[in-house]
Amino acid sequence: MNDLIALHNIVKVYPPNVLAVDNVSVSFSKGEIHSIVGENGAGKSTLMKLLYGLVPFDSGRIEFGGVNVRFHKPGDAIAMGIGMVHQEIVLIPQYSVWENVVLGAEPIRSMGRIDSRAAIDAVRSKIEEFQFNLDPLAIVDDISVAARQKVEILKLLFRNVSVLILDEPTAVLTPQEIPQLFAELKRLRDRGHTILFISHRLDEVLELSDRITIMRKGRKVATVEASKTNKESLATMMVGRQVIFTSKRTPHRRGELVFEARHIEMERSDGLKLLDDVSFSVHAGEIVGIAGVEGNGQFELVNSIMGLEQPNRGSFLVKGRDITSLSILERRKLISFVPQDRGKMGASLSASILDNAIMTHHRLEKQFSRWHGLVLDYRKARDFVDMLKERFSIQMASRQSEFRSLSGGNQQKVILARELLLATPFFLMDQPTRGLDVGSIEYVHGEILAMREADRAVLLISADLEELFLVADRILVMHRGCIVADLMTEKTTIEEVGAYMLGGRASA
Amino acid sequence: MKRRLWSGLIGVVVALAVGALIMLAQGYRPFSTYAALFQFSLGGIGPFTTTLKNSVPLVLTGLSAAVAFASGPVNLGQPGQFVFGALAATIGGLYINLPAVLEIPLLLLLAIAGGALWSSIAAFLRRAFEMSEFIVTLMLNMIADFFTAWVIAFPLMDRKAYSPMTPQIVMNGWMPDLGLLSSSTLVMLGAVVLVWFVFHRWRAGYEWRMTGQNSVFARLGGCDIQRNFLAVMLVTGALAGLAGGLVVMAGPHRFIKGLGANYAWDGIMIAIMANNSIVGTLVYGVFIAAIQTGALGMELITNVPSEIAQVLQAVLVLIIVATREYTNVLLDRLSARRQAKERAA
Repeated sequence: MNDLIALHNIVKVYPPNVLAVDNVSVSFSKGEIHSIVGENGAGKSTLMKLLYGLVPFDSGRIEFGGVNVRFHKPGDAIAMGIGMVHQEIVLIPQYSVWENVVLGAEPIRSMGRIDSRAAIDAVRSKIEEFQFNLDPLAIVDDISVAARQKVEILKLLFRNVSVLILDEPTAVLTPQEIPQLFAELKRLRDRGHTILFISHRLDEVLELSDRITIMRKGRKVATVEASKTNKESLATMMVGRQVIFTSKRTPHRRGELVFEARHIEMERSDGLKLLDDVSFSVHAGEIVGIAGVEGNGQFELVNSIMGLEQPNRGSFLVKGRDITSLSILERRKLISFVPQDRGKMGASLSASILDNAIMTHHRLEKQFSRWHGLVLDYRKARDFVDMLKERFSIQMASRQSEFRSLSGGNQQKVILARELLLATPFFLMDQPTRGLDVGSIEYVHGEILAMREADRAVLLISADLEELFLVADRILVMHRGCIVADLMTEKTTIEEVGAYMLGGRASA
Repeated sequence: MKRRLWSGLIGVVVALAVGALIMLAQGYRPFSTYAALFQFSLGGIGPFTTTLKNSVPLVLTGLSAAVAFASGPVNLGQPGQFVFGALAATIGGLYINLPAVLEIPLLLLLAIAGGALWSSIAAFLRRAFEMSEFIVTLMLNMIADFFTAWVIAFPLMDRKAYSPMTPQIVMNGWMPDLGLLSSSTLVMLGAVVLVWFVFHRWRAGYEWRMTGQNSVFARLGGCDIQRNFLAVMLVTGALAGLAGGLVVMAGPHRFIKGLGANYAWDGIMIAIMANNSIVGTLVYGVFIAAIQTGALGMELITNVPSEIAQVLQAVLVLIIVATREYTNVLLDRLSARRQAKERAA
């Protein structure tokens, strides 16, 4: 095949040691739509930024039209005919469409004045040439996101690029706008343009592309013809193994009542109800999941259980004791907590692993303090970390290494282990598997199920329905601050929960 | 740890080289100038003990800033807390006369209390009205400055003196010299050891450090953020106050106009150079004191003005901070390149 662009053995390490692109060789032909797919962090965006000259690469070479090239800034790439549209749109909203398109390449009259008539004509003829259906005189602020994206593409076409790189362009579009974008991209391809399309939505990729390159953990897995593959095999290559979700949950007897929320209400200062009469309970040996689209009150619920915020009305009870007005330290004697954001709430990234591991234990566990709590016993703390490392098989260079030096999965293991070993009856977990790789997710799920076996009460908040169906005994659905459904996992379906998540009470 | 040592050393060498270039540009001979500078500050027991004595206010105010910055509160009130500590020790020394074994600890405690009292105002305003301690401590510096100027010019003025100053404190309150070594140096070293121990071994110190790094995490972990804030403000005010008391008791034995000089601002710079490390503050504090001390002697035997010390100090701060950040970037980049080479092979 006639390769227009060929990448040979490209390596990129982000300092100090994040291997983003690992020895990738791939080629793109003239006049094809070539998609690059992979999970978050697979290196697909980085690979394109290397080609575009936005990020320097460490080794390897790039051939363009048979000649070795190396772009040091995007301007070099554009001059050679390669343009990239980023995920976030960068236009000047106060300017009109034509002003944005010609910015930086304005036709000039005498005395440095911009020849606006010539510019508008040129932009208009480009719009007609590519059938873009845009008004060159419209102000960017007034047009839709889809139209703005077209302006971005037009900007590049105006500079006569022949290769277009699009970084997840459909992420900002509504489902109705996507077919139009695809039609325009296919038209561009038919006129001889090459389109490199970054995405992780497999349906779209299969519909649009001629060829597909799959990346995983910085490596290229394969390049395949779109007509000769299917969604399942793409998914398998992306994740690295067959994706089968089966629950290891076994029947377990539910114990006594441990956690109770009674008519919790929280209002924003303007009167909007963030939490609206939220009542539910969690028993010992039970995992209760809370499903819901993010931003429907889950965060406020977590914050009010932990004591970061006070609800306007209602109360929380743990083992019959009202905790609503207790200090955070008093609550922590009853509640273990894994927050959704490790770096912001779950740990201090710049502190040592040891300092992170003993948090809360330093107050609640007598063994860590001497002289009536004045001095911490660092020898005991070191033994504690060694024990965690052994028991939870945590990979760490040393106890004193910065917490940020751990991988995401190992960071979560430290947090999970720390919270597990607090002698509390109630465990609150807010999206505990967010941003983890598949292996770590399985580990966390295993630990959650083990807690149930140990008769602890678990409240699991998750945006991932598959996760809830894997581990939860009961699923509550939150919608606009209300609990709109309380369903036994065995007696419901993902579709039913999804309907409640989107439509609230009325829809099901 | 090793990395910090190296980047500090590289920073010092580069800063001295830049200082040498500045001297060359001015037509001075850098080598003999540096030789004189360090001979008068580090060349022998006498010069070294003088340097140590001069480092007392720098290290203690530096310690105050380092503990505050590393724990969260932006306490920039060291200059005010310093003069209040000095004033409290002076007043005690003017009106109370006890045997030295009691007088000296009493005056030191008064200095500590004076500094802590002044910083507690900022802590209280933060607690009651959510006023930022950053602004409040800075403003309180002005008030402390003019208040002490008034005290030594009116109620406590020594009538026999030509410029505003108090009379001398009682002899029993003077910090004794142990041979060539001033006992104020020992108090400083004791304070460094104690603060290190509190910061790195006490439960309170653990909570201060964690709060300084991520206060939401510390709060969720059960640390009492408000109480810790108050404690840090009091402790750091006390350290600056102790510095002021020691300067009075070991030096002029009275409160003279301009006593605070630039000690506290230098101390804050030292904390920044040391990246808020306690041992680092001691090392850089003594180093800056050596430059300041040596500059006075250097002026006697070379024709370089002692102001060169201030130039050197400014260059040192900038270059040490820049080197620390840049060595990290550079080392990260090197390790990235090494890994890339391995993958490509």
